[in-house]
Amino acid sequence: MTRTISVDHLARVEGHGGITVVLEGDEVRKVDFDIFEGIRLFEGLIRGRMMEDVTQIVSRICAICSTNHTITSLHALENALGILVTPQTRRLRDLAYQGANIESHALHVFVLGLPDLMGHSSVISLAGVIPDAVKIALRLKKLGNTIQEIVGGRAVHPVNYVIGGFGRVPSADELLSLRPQIQKGLEDCRQAIEVLRSVPIPNFVNEPIRCAAIAPEDEAFFFGNTIEVLDGGVRTRIPVGDYRKFTNEHLVPHSHAKHSFYEGRSYMVGALPRLTLNGDRIAGLARKAWEELNFAVPSSNILMNNIAQVIEMVYSVEHALHLVEEILDQGIVEEAPPPYKPHACAGAAATEVPRGTLFYSYEIDSEGRIAAADVITPTAQNLSNAEEQLVATVKQGLGAGASDSIIEQRLAIVARAYDPCISCSVHMVRA
Amino acid sequence: MKPKIGIYGFSGCWGEQIVILNCEDELMDLFGAVDIVDFLGGSSVNDTVSRLLIAFVEGSIANAREEAALRKVRDRSGLLVACGSCACFGGVAAMDARSPRAEVIRQVYGKNGPAASWDIGPHGPLSDFVKVDLNIPGCPIEKNEFLRVVSSLLNGDVPLMPAYPVCLECKMRENECLLIKRGLPCAGPVTVAGCNARCPGYNIACIGCRGPVDEANMGSIEKILEQKEYELDEIRRKLRTFAAPFLDRTESRG
Repeated sequence: MTRTISVDHLARVEGHGGITVVLEGDEVRKVDFDIFEGIRLFEGLIRGRMMEDVTQIVSRICAICSTNHTITSLHALENALGILVTPQTRRLRDLAYQGANIESHALHVFVLGLPDLMGHSSVISLAGVIPDAVKIALRLKKLGNTIQEIVGGRAVHPVNYVIGGFGRVPSADELLSLRPQIQKGLEDCRQAIEVLRSVPIPNFVNEPIRCAAIAPEDEAFFFGNTIEVLDGGVRTRIPVGDYRKFTNEHLVPHSHAKHSFYEGRSYMVGALPRLTLNGDRIAGLARKAWEELNFAVPSSNILMNNIAQVIEMVYSVEHALHLVEEILDQGIVEEAPPPYKPHACAGAAATEVPRGTLFYSYEIDSEGRIAAADVITPTAQNLSNAEEQLVATVKQGLGAGASDSIIEQRLAIVARAYDPCISCSVHMVRA
Repeated sequence: MKPKIGIYGFSGCWGEQIVILNCEDELMDLFGAVDIVDFLGGSSVNDTVSRLLIAFVEGSIANAREEAALRKVRDRSGLLVACGSCACFGGVAAMDARSPRAEVIRQVYGKNGPAASWDIGPHGPLSDFVKVDLNIPGCPIEKNEFLRVVSSLLNGDVPLMPAYPVCLECKMRENECLLIKRGLPCAGPVTVAGCNARCPGYNIACIGCRGPVDEANMGSIEKILEQKEYELDEIRRKLRTFAAPFLDRTESRG
């Protein structure tokens, strides 16, 4: 007898997706992570547009990580044009990345994820039970937004970033105004860790996770030119320019987003892989969070991605304070972006964004128009891996005698643990 | 009993739902003032049948599934408010491409193309399908404008929306004119205000993300930019980035 377990419309995720599991007896026939968000064809739409105009357009791929889409797009254009940004610009972009990380992780962990772990349907009902914890989370989320606003001019779809620098460099006063807010954020992080200490992380799926992340080259954890894949204890390095070998995409009929494989097998990107590969960078209060929340890597429990996000959120608050101090110490300079001449060129870039590694590449013609564009988002890369975890969730649930309705709940929790961003995944990628 | 509201997102970037969730200082008050009964983006348990006072809807409509869901929302709502430029005007996914849509799909998905089962229509604003009671424009919407609309509607008032262009706010900020003084292709004269001229405040020309102001004179701005030696085709694509389907219907070429 064939039966189906399905999550028709996944709640508390960004975008429109569902899960379909087809079973024959206790045999899993098929598990599909269905992506039915309308396709938006960004890479096709921006062909022929001036390179100065495209970054503000691709920002619209995703609201939550719009700062990240914006800056990664600029990195790719700058790499193509051979522009090196100043240390001040790099630090300010790094600061904006910490803001994005704080905002996105606070949103996912507390507003979208925590209700699962505490048996609630939403943060609204959670607010009725633990209002103080929800207020802390909202303050942290706001801090992430404020940082992004001060550097980028707007929290969602920033306006101030241009090729080579800024429309207007943030003033020393604006950066100074961040200092007390970040210090308050550290206090909020301490309390958030306390709240989360008492929240048990379920362990209903145990399946090894193959991890990938950018190998950081300097202080900036989220910027770099090499991807590392960790497979059975062995690290392989791939230059960002060769990203196509790595993300090797396939079309599948049930998804408006392509699936990624590396050497024929799935992999995961995101907070859990970053800490698995580069956890030695975590110190201070973030290290304390790591210990107090009993985090360990490698982990074969995908739900630990929620905890990895908490640790990264704390790291980002600490690193933001460090960056503000450093920028102020050096003295902020009102510098204009370097001049450049349009010429036929091509460039790629990758950065680590809240949900994992984001790739951009552009080909530019001699007049400075986009000849070809390619964007590969973390969620698109994670879809195959998520399907494998969903299969394991069904198999391990059936093995332990769980009912279909319990399995259905678990499927939604596992899918959400990836913090999928479905809008991002359907922007689509050229083959 | 608190008034019931619903928050919905169709094809788009989720920006409006994020801006609503970004009202961190006001969110607890909002939860207190209204009963958000249907909000798939925020809750896994939703009331999908009862009558709503207001439905806030973001995103464009790109397939039959979305159209059917939108009609259902319209049927049960007293007021339907389109939030953001995708819902109001079609948004970025509806911008003009250089090639026909079938070719763009091929460029993105490769020559084998997407599965035949996919329902992939063009993106349209909500008003192509249902009656829309109010537009809150913006890409994304402005937090304060959203909160002002909510409190007006809850008090039975008609929200006051700006009917003047970004230029007016820009002048009030005493910004140097990017279009006239610096010759930048600024969409401020034809774009509806409400952002406090955010981009010009950063020396960035307005890109028209809030959509056209009432009676926007597109012909005139095109002429000004042509005189500044921008190519007409380039100007048009630029000015039609956020509201192409809407402009097709309303454009005045005076």
